[in-house]
Amino acid sequence: MIEYRGVWKSFGDDPVLRGVDLTVREGETLVLLGPSGTGKSVLLKHAIGLLMPDRGDVRVDGLSIPDASLDQLKRVRRRVGYVFQNAALFDSLTVLQNLALALDEEDRPRPLRAVRPEAAELLARVNLQEEVLDLFPAELSGGMRKRVGVARAIASRPRYVLYDEPTTGLDPVNAETIDGLIVELARELGVTSIVVTHDLESAFQVGDRVALLTEGVLRACGSPDEILESEDPVVRRFMHRRFGTAV
Amino acid sequence: MRERRRLRAPDVIGAARGGLDRVGRGALLAAAIVRTLGTPRKWVHASLSQAYSMGIRSLPLVLFMAALGGAIASQQTGAQFTGGLPLWVTGSVVAAGVLTELGPVLTAMVLVGRLGASIAAELGTMKVTEQIDALYSIGRDPVTFLVVPRVVGGTLVFPPLVVLANAMGMFAGWAIGLVAIDGLTSADFIFGARFYFRPWVLFFSVIKAALFGVAITFLACFIGLEGRGGAEGVGRTTTAAVVATTIAVMVLDVLLVPLLKVA
Repeated sequence: MIEYRGVWKSFGDDPVLRGVDLTVREGETLVLLGPSGTGKSVLLKHAIGLLMPDRGDVRVDGLSIPDASLDQLKRVRRRVGYVFQNAALFDSLTVLQNLALALDEEDRPRPLRAVRPEAAELLARVNLQEEVLDLFPAELSGGMRKRVGVARAIASRPRYVLYDEPTTGLDPVNAETIDGLIVELARELGVTSIVVTHDLESAFQVGDRVALLTEGVLRACGSPDEILESEDPVVRRFMHRRFGTAV
Repeated sequence: MRERRRLRAPDVIGAARGGLDRVGRGALLAAAIVRTLGTPRKWVHASLSQAYSMGIRSLPLVLFMAALGGAIASQQTGAQFTGGLPLWVTGSVVAAGVLTELGPVLTAMVLVGRLGASIAAELGTMKVTEQIDALYSIGRDPVTFLVVPRVVGGTLVFPPLVVLANAMGMFAGWAIGLVAIDGLTSADFIFGARFYFRPWVLFFSVIKAALFGVAITFLACFIGLEGRGGAEGVGRTTTAAVVATTIAVMVLDVLLVPLLKVA
């Protein structure tokens, strides 16, 4: 379980998160919606200690992230896969080397030929061919890069996968592929997921629950139906703008 | 009329606090490097590979610049001393100039532009494209994976590069001296060089090289990891790294002068 308790975070004088309380339940896929610049990615990064709250607490399986030691943080990060917005693949390394970094422990690296079968298996999970292993990230399309990013995130067999705008910048076909992948991985691997997006179609396709973050405050959280039927004017306005019709 | 912006106390305090913050982060990075050095199996292989690629990539330019340095020293000496001092002094001046200053400092300047800028740009790009965050996210430590191999690799490779630059500078000084200075013979040049030479001078050159190596690679890594703000930010980061490492080399050069008097 991932819990955010009264999380505040500012950059300079600008508060980005203002006391966010959110619990992500075991096995569910929670979609975090909201306009750009409202703190969705910032909230996600707190879950693996890439950012620390100014106030409040973030807990993963009961462990307080701000109070965790470096070793504890490393162990948490092996249990939580993170898919970055632009995949953030290491561009000077091949896909195989990228995956090997995530598959191996830091102090027990294996020769690349020993890692290759496992890496190929990971690629197969995200519907990519083994030949992709020998390519550099710059040689991949946007959709392929995202899928390799997903493969890297699930390499350590995590209990949680966090997706930061996984479909942003993709054409509708590739976006649908990624959405399908999120649903498939949640079902097959039984992982708990948080998906940050501002793509409503994607949100309602993959989410068991949907949360809306506006101006650093969690405005609503519930099942997709509850969100669609919400009487909150801010929620209704967001849905209306995004779907382009009155809800 | 143009309005002049006055410096206010909060600006100065803010700048001072920012500076102290940066010094603190630099100290933390240095401590993390020292901590990582305790587990060599995590960085030895990567460091050797960095040292090899840094050395091979930089060698031609280092040798070229050293040759020019030696040639200039020899010609300047000939032009200024001919008729005033014995010609063998040319050998002494070239040896002194190349071994104590031109070899190490010219090599360091080449490496500031060649490696310092490249390290800062690479790490700065990794920072702004979230690749550093991605390393953390898979349980890897950027200090172990990126910083230590570059700092150790640079420190290992600078001394041999400077020794080769010294040799090339001496050779070019001798060759150009024979052509450009009327009456200078190889015997004169070698006598002058041997007259000046003491083994400590060579050690001094190597010690300088190692310290320049640490300073350039450490500062470039630190400034690279502080990068922010997209492509423009990476440009600023690279410029800042070149400026900071150039200043560091010159300050170290001044501070190390007393060491020459040890022997």
